[in-house]
Amino acid sequence: MSSTRNGSRPPAQTACQTEPVNGSSGVPAGTEELRRRVQQLSLREQLERHHFLLERLNAASARLIEALEHGDVCEAIGEIIANLIGSEEVAIFHYFPLVRSFKLAWSSGVENDVLRAFGSGAGFLGRAAHGQTSQFPERLVNTPLMCYEKNLTACIVLKSSNEVVGVIAILGLLPQKSCLEWADFELLKFLEVYGAVALQFQRLQQEKVAP
Amino acid sequence: MRPKGEKAMATKKILLVDDSCTARLVNRMIFSQKTNYVLVSAVDGKEAVERAREEKPDLILMDIVMPRMTGLEACRVLKKDKDTERIPIILLTTRGEEKYVQEGYASGCSDYLTKPVNDAELLDLLKAYLGE
Repeated sequence: MSSTRNGSRPPAQTACQTEPVNGSSGVPAGTEELRRRVQQLSLREQLERHHFLLERLNAASARLIEALEHGDVCEAIGEIIANLIGSEEVAIFHYFPLVRSFKLAWSSGVENDVLRAFGSGAGFLGRAAHGQTSQFPERLVNTPLMCYEKNLTACIVLKSSNEVVGVIAILGLLPQKSCLEWADFELLKFLEVYGAVALQFQRLQQEKVAP
Repeated sequence: MRPKGEKAMATKKILLVDDSCTARLVNRMIFSQKTNYVLVSAVDGKEAVERAREEKPDLILMDIVMPRMTGLEACRVLKKDKDTERIPIILLTTRGEEKYVQEGYASGCSDYLTKPVNDAELLDLLKAYLGE
């Protein structure tokens, strides 16, 4: 049995120290070969990282489209965050800019009193909505956290046509995940735009259905 | 174009069990782009048991927290059935802590992976069980 592994690749072959010197540059041929291989591995890694991201973006967009037809957009966003980013403590709020107020749309794994506190619009949630910019408390070490924000990882604004329609509060990450990574930030940028579009679509649909 | 050496995986069948549509979508993408495994899916433990008996997959990749029947329960049922007891089961868990992992092994699983799943990690593990 094995524990979880990180996708490691075989190391580049080690160069022989005694290989002949490359005529023009004076660099040993083995060193040159090693440098070339390291560069190749780095380029390959760039492409693989990008491919990894595209797979996730593709799955996320397919899930949002599926939610437009058959399900709940907020639940789909929560599922994307749980499965592709790695947090099961998520709350999504509708935001009404004219009255600067929030209304809980969906949540998972967050205590009721914490939800109520976030819903008041103070702290990072309000800062994200009013400033139209996603907030990552870890980046703002000098900004004090409210007591209910201790576990907060990010407040992601859902912005459609330059208007904030909602905010996602992502609290604790899964235990095996210590922080957000490059691909997570890209996925969150995708949700900022297309999560908002999907949410707005659903709101319009509900308005149409309501008498 | 598929990397060399991955065509040999053509005949292997994997049963993917997850109630999350997103998880099924992303795994389907990984498998279709990077392997030749045949993928069948189920949305909960109960359906997984039925499909495992029908399809006789070479390996089962199963989430733990699911409605109707959890992955752990399904794992126990499959390991008690003579037709399915030999199928390796890899559990997908959001909880990587020791006690949850031990619980998984106690149910009879062969291995586990923590979510969010890393492509390379998943494919390496599948190769280890199914061969090149």
